[in-house]
Amino acid sequence: MQVFKLCIKVLEKNKTAMLIYIFIFLVISVMISRLSVSKPQTGYADVKTDIAFLSEENTPLVNGLKQELSKSANFVTVADQTEALQDALYFRDVTYIVRIPKGFTERFLKGENVRIEKTTVPDSVYGAYLDMKINRYLTTAALYAKYGGGMPQKKLVSLLKSDLDQTASVTLKPEKVRSAETVESGGTGTTFTMYYFNYLAYVLPAVLIFGIGAIMQVFNNRDLSLRSFCSPITARNYNFQFLLANIVFCIVCWAILLIPCALLDPKHFFSRATSFLLLNSFAFLLSAGGLSYLIGNLVKNRSAISALSNVCSLGPSFIGGVFIPRLMLSDTVLKIASFTPTYWYVKANEQIEALGTFDFSNLASSYGCMAVEAGFAVAFLALGLTAGKKTRVAG
Amino acid sequence: MIISVKNLVKRYGNLVALDHLSFDVEEGEILGLLGPNGSGKTTAINCILSLLKYDKGEIRIFGRPMRPDAYDIKRDIGVIMQNVAVFDELTVYENINYFCGLYIPEKEKRKRLVEEAIDFVGLNDFRRFYPKKLSGGLLRRLNIACGIAHKPKLILLDEPTVAVDPQSRNNILEGIQRLNREGATIVYTSHYMEEVEQICSRIIILDKGKVIANGTKEELKNMISLGEKITVETSAIHPEHLAALRRIPGADSVEYANGLLVVKSGKSKNNLENVLDFLKKQQIGYGRIYSELPTLNDVFLEITGKELRD
Ligand SMILES: Nc1ncnc2c1ncn2[C@@H]1O[C@H](COP(=O)(O)OP(=O)(O)OP(=O)(O)O)[C@@H](O)[C@H]1O
Ligand SMILES: [Mg+2]
Repeated sequence: MQVFKLCIKVLEKNKTAMLIYIFIFLVISVMISRLSVSKPQTGYADVKTDIAFLSEENTPLVNGLKQELSKSANFVTVADQTEALQDALYFRDVTYIVRIPKGFTERFLKGENVRIEKTTVPDSVYGAYLDMKINRYLTTAALYAKYGGGMPQKKLVSLLKSDLDQTASVTLKPEKVRSAETVESGGTGTTFTMYYFNYLAYVLPAVLIFGIGAIMQVFNNRDLSLRSFCSPITARNYNFQFLLANIVFCIVCWAILLIPCALLDPKHFFSRATSFLLLNSFAFLLSAGGLSYLIGNLVKNRSAISALSNVCSLGPSFIGGVFIPRLMLSDTVLKIASFTPTYWYVKANEQIEALGTFDFSNLASSYGCMAVEAGFAVAFLALGLTAGKKTRVAG
Repeated sequence: MIISVKNLVKRYGNLVALDHLSFDVEEGEILGLLGPNGSGKTTAINCILSLLKYDKGEIRIFGRPMRPDAYDIKRDIGVIMQNVAVFDELTVYENINYFCGLYIPEKEKRKRLVEEAIDFVGLNDFRRFYPKKLSGGLLRRLNIACGIAHKPKLILLDEPTVAVDPQSRNNILEGIQRLNREGATIVYTSHYMEEVEQICSRIIILDKGKVIANGTKEELKNMISLGEKITVETSAIHPEHLAALRRIPGADSVEYANGLLVVKSGKSKNNLENVLDFLKKQQIGYGRIYSELPTLNDVFLEITGKELRD
């Protein structure tokens, strides 16, 4: 295991710099998340937005939803005609239109896949908030419908209402509750854990690019590789040890970064929601590892690597929604950001956060994001391999 | 036969770096590959080690064909490349231990070998130093220790003394002779003829990827017509003097330039006395006088018409 040990020694030589990254990250993430946990929700809840609620049927379930939304919205009456509705949106008489189609309740309670139609103005912060509310209402309702043993609709709605009131009361009176405890475990809401996982999108690439970059510097040195090629160690054994060292490094970094979160916010860390955050962060770890390998193969000097490790961790974090919420970023910025794994990582985190319950249909889109992250990992690795081969042959 | 190279051809694009190169290395010898910059020494070494793909030819080591995956052959070879190749992240001891470890998995045995290698190159006081802190000469010694710690039967050294002070150079050359006495066969490339003359039992002179001469240094010097070369510092030589000097029997060439009179004699002729007599008789004042026997440079010069070193 000479080669493996060598990689570890190279990493040890560079550990101070990496520990500094991690330390700064911890300080920043703890500070920022303590400051901002749950704030956005309170902000939105205080200001009510104007929406149109059009329903083609009148059932307890629909009325319950309307009542739930009334906590965050004022209902404006708009004639149910395409032109009138468009005008209303255009002039911002309303920012959000909900339409419940006929037969919705019946089909919904049967567990069929039915959708509420919604129309919204672009870039609406409230729109996302209302989406979340509706989503939470319906996922919880679906849960009762599925496991409630066919209870009457009225009962279902009242149970639902008391459920949702519990969390709602928290957002309305945040000063009474300690911020990190606002939301019940497995539930929704922006927790410390949530922030922490988002910020991982900054620190993981920074540390991995730095560490793997340092290893690659050593291993892509032509004179040193020639010496290894002269020795009786087989190419397969050599590559295996090298790969193993890099994988171990990635996993150790990941684990080290997760421990503070588990210590600082154990209640949420060991919840069901976090297991999905963990899965997502693992997918992101793969892409960050792949990126580091690519950069390590392309860049030939130390200072360029540490510069790139800053650029590639900070840049995507700013445009991908880590430091600035995605809702506040323009479409163009987000479109650019979607070419980075960070965007998909944050998006998946938000989707996981927004879910009231976890069943497969709800998670499908966040699995999609994770798949995109893994796709990035594969692409980076493939590019890195090609670039690496080129340097070795050309040198 | 330890190494056999037959009709080796290596091209870089249009440039033919090795042109049907053939030679053998016998067990126990120190073979010198001598050639000017760009003559193909490094290319030849790299082809022998299967580090480079070549266009044509056959290479056998220890009687077996050499290939990139001939790991059992590689086990018995030690390599010291032209460029220093050590890890900046590892100390002197760790570097030697790492490279030795690629050959010797057993910890105990390796420990002993690494200690011996450190002793061998005289780096005992520097074992905890990082390469960045070593002088050029010490760094070269470390480079050598990394290549020979596993006690190989065959050692290839590619210009191990480039840019090294005389003290380290002697240490290195003596070391190579010691390794040879302990049983290793050695291939040594250099463009310093003095080094090659000093340590090699046989010399191959390369030029433009071809063997132009092959033999012991005595054999090589016998190949050429040149014998003694007399150089006189003097400022009062006239053309008629030169004509008279040229009449001395055995004086093949008489030149005068920049205050230096050079008289070259044919093989096994001694003309120093004759030249001095002549100068005295003509009452020509002179400064230093020295006489040299032919060097490998003269051999190279006579065969190729150019100097070994520019
Ligand atoms: N990678 C390469 N690509 C193209 N040409 C090369 C390459 N390596 C060497 N050459 C050319 O091949 C010829 C032989 O080079 P080589 O390095 O073998 O010479 P050398 O005898 O080792 O010289 P030196 O004494 O300078 O080390 C030179 O003309 C050199 O320019
Ligand atoms: Mg060379």
